[in-house]
Amino acid sequence: MFKSKNSRSVLAKRHVTMVGWLMVMFFVASSARAELLIRITEGANSAIPVAVVPFAESGAMPAGDKISSIVQADLTMSGEFKPLSPEKMLSLPSERSEVYFRDWRMLGQRYVLVGQLTNNGGRVEARYELFDVNREQRILGETAAAPQGNVRSLAHHISDRVYEAITGEPGAFSTKLAYVTLSGASNKSVYRLHVSDIDGQRSTVRLESDEPILSPAWSPDGKKLAYVSFETGKPVIFIHELATGKRTKAADFPGLNSAPAWSPDGQSMLMTLSKDGNAEIYEKNLVSGKITKLTNHWAIDTEAAWDHAGKGVFFTSDQSGGPQIYYMERPGAEARRITFGSRYNARARPDSKGEYVYYVHQRDRSFHIARRNLKTDEETIVTRTGTDESPSVSPNGRMLIYATEQGGEGVLTVVSADGGAAYSLPASEGEVREPAWGPITR
Amino acid sequence: MKGHERVTVNKDSISLKSPVAMSLGLHLLIVVVALAGWSWTNPVQEPEPRSISARLISPEPKPSPVVDEQDQRDDAQKRELAAEQQRKTADAERKKAEQEAKRQAAEKAAQEKARKIERERKQQEAQAREKAEQQAQAKEAARKKAEAEAKERERQKAEEERKRQEEAKRQAEEEKKRKEEQRRKEEAERKEERARKEAERKRKEAERRLREQQLNALAEEAEKARESEARRQREAAVAKAREAQMLTDSEKYQALIRDRLAQAWYPPASATENMVARLQITLLPTGELQGVTLVSSSGNTAFDNSALSAVRSLNRYPVPSDRDTFERYFRKFTIEFNPKRLR
Repeated sequence: MFKSKNSRSVLAKRHVTMVGWLMVMFFVASSARAELLIRITEGANSAIPVAVVPFAESGAMPAGDKISSIVQADLTMSGEFKPLSPEKMLSLPSERSEVYFRDWRMLGQRYVLVGQLTNNGGRVEARYELFDVNREQRILGETAAAPQGNVRSLAHHISDRVYEAITGEPGAFSTKLAYVTLSGASNKSVYRLHVSDIDGQRSTVRLESDEPILSPAWSPDGKKLAYVSFETGKPVIFIHELATGKRTKAADFPGLNSAPAWSPDGQSMLMTLSKDGNAEIYEKNLVSGKITKLTNHWAIDTEAAWDHAGKGVFFTSDQSGGPQIYYMERPGAEARRITFGSRYNARARPDSKGEYVYYVHQRDRSFHIARRNLKTDEETIVTRTGTDESPSVSPNGRMLIYATEQGGEGVLTVVSADGGAAYSLPASEGEVREPAWGPITR
Repeated sequence: MKGHERVTVNKDSISLKSPVAMSLGLHLLIVVVALAGWSWTNPVQEPEPRSISARLISPEPKPSPVVDEQDQRDDAQKRELAAEQQRKTADAERKKAEQEAKRQAAEKAAQEKARKIERERKQQEAQAREKAEQQAQAKEAARKKAEAEAKERERQKAEEERKRQEEAKRQAEEEKKRKEEQRRKEEAERKEERARKEAERKRKEAERRLREQQLNALAEEAEKARESEARRQREAAVAKAREAQMLTDSEKYQALIRDRLAQAWYPPASATENMVARLQITLLPTGELQGVTLVSSSGNTAFDNSALSAVRSLNRYPVPSDRDTFERYFRKFTIEFNPKRLR
């Protein structure tokens, strides 16, 4: 009896000890437990507040837009930044010692760009610094210079540097646009091929014709443009060297010669030819001149574009009855339809990263630019205007330019690639169409 | 109620004086004895035996014979009778003497004359008297003798009676003694039995007590255990409730912080969905940021910086006012930036 009682009490003691240990362990465990973890999976759905402080100037500056204004406009156009208007700034520092982070913090700014411009005998030199207001750190400090007649290039360059410092992506503000304008009276139309800065400034006409000019396409090095011109009375593909103005025919076959697209290495060109009776996709080796037929179908196959890697080909085919986007993993391989759910999906333009493909998409009676995630097949509409066409993606994949109508006139609009912000380029003259975003060149 | 019943039963038993009563009485006695304690080493005061009349006789027989009352009465009568006779005899003698004197006086004249005769007669009388006296004496002796004889007889008879009675008494005594002995023996046996039973009872009682104690101890222990368990559970429940409250608070403030940071974070253009930056931040109880360290880089400087910038952009973190909750969850915690939905 006593023994059992003892053993019981011993057991009870053991029990208590065990419970104690468990509790201790529990506390240890709870105190040693992984500390609180908060996951942030979504960011602000708005533009980053950034203050571009007007640069201090020493020496005469060329007339026209100030460099800081151009930078502001660039950043605004990207849709990713929301520059603070200079009137709201509490101070106008031009170097680090003058930056009071608390002030900028109070103004809700995340970044502050300050700089100084010096005119050194016709060369404008810029010293600029970018600060992270919250971290109170300088994340960029450089100098750059340009001839005083080329301060826009200097400004775009600064925009690119700022953009890259903040986003980690190269900026595309120094790239060029090609587009076609149509002007003139009803009986006398003038088509002009333009090349301009991406803000539409400094536009130059490279070709003028009474006949339509279509589908300008940039060579990967940004030195040449391919396009379709009807100047000979029928569609012919030309390659136009921008520096010299020298033009060569890339395709002048009987029937249709259209929709030129450079390969990423610039060695070959995709095009649509109907020389064999039906519109098919061909690849022309620009070195050897050899032409290879990639599609062979009774339907129309056209508007080919290389994917980001230069391996596969997107194109439009109406083999299903209406235009849809198809993809072949390599030239000549069997094509796979990738768009569904709409009667009209055409003119695919992949981005440079292989993440998305953009195309003209009909919904109800409107035409929009849609973006398709190539991994998830998720399709989102990125433009809202209604008669949208000719999408072209910026080389960094962050912006998209397309043609649309505004007040009955064709205009070009730049949106951030997710459709967040829209920025319409000023119409230089007449109707603007067929934009093509040039590559980043260094 | 029960007590009342018992009282009634007792009354009945007393009035009945039946064996049941005896038995009950005995039991009651045992109970009383039991209640009075266990001083069994002292002999129990025995009740006086009732069946034996020994009390009427003096407990120690006297060596002198006891005269019966009747005998004494008879004796007295005899003595009275004898006295009477003596008195009568004396009376008659006195009268005779008186008559003699008278006759002598009357005869004085003739005294001389008669003196001789008288003397003769006197002589004769003396002789007669002497003779009568002798006769009386003989008679008395005979009577006395008879009396003594009777007395002796009587005495012998009384003695016999006494002896008989003594014998009877002795026998009674013996009987009584025997009975007493037996009673004692029985009593002793009973006592022994009782003692044995008592011992047994005690043993059992002790055992029972022990068992009870053990049971009590066990029950107590169980009770204690239960109590401590209950207390533990109660405390655990309280702790849990507190914990839950803290967790609820914590979750609330986590959500607030998450919201604020989500609004403050600008994932850079170069961000991809698989980028993860982990930052450990330490806060002051006021919600002010005390420090932040990048504990795990995304591999993309712009991404890391965007996270750091976001964390530093909040002037004051929403933190619970409850100090424990703050210390537990928000003094130091990790924020993970990982865009699931890119623009």
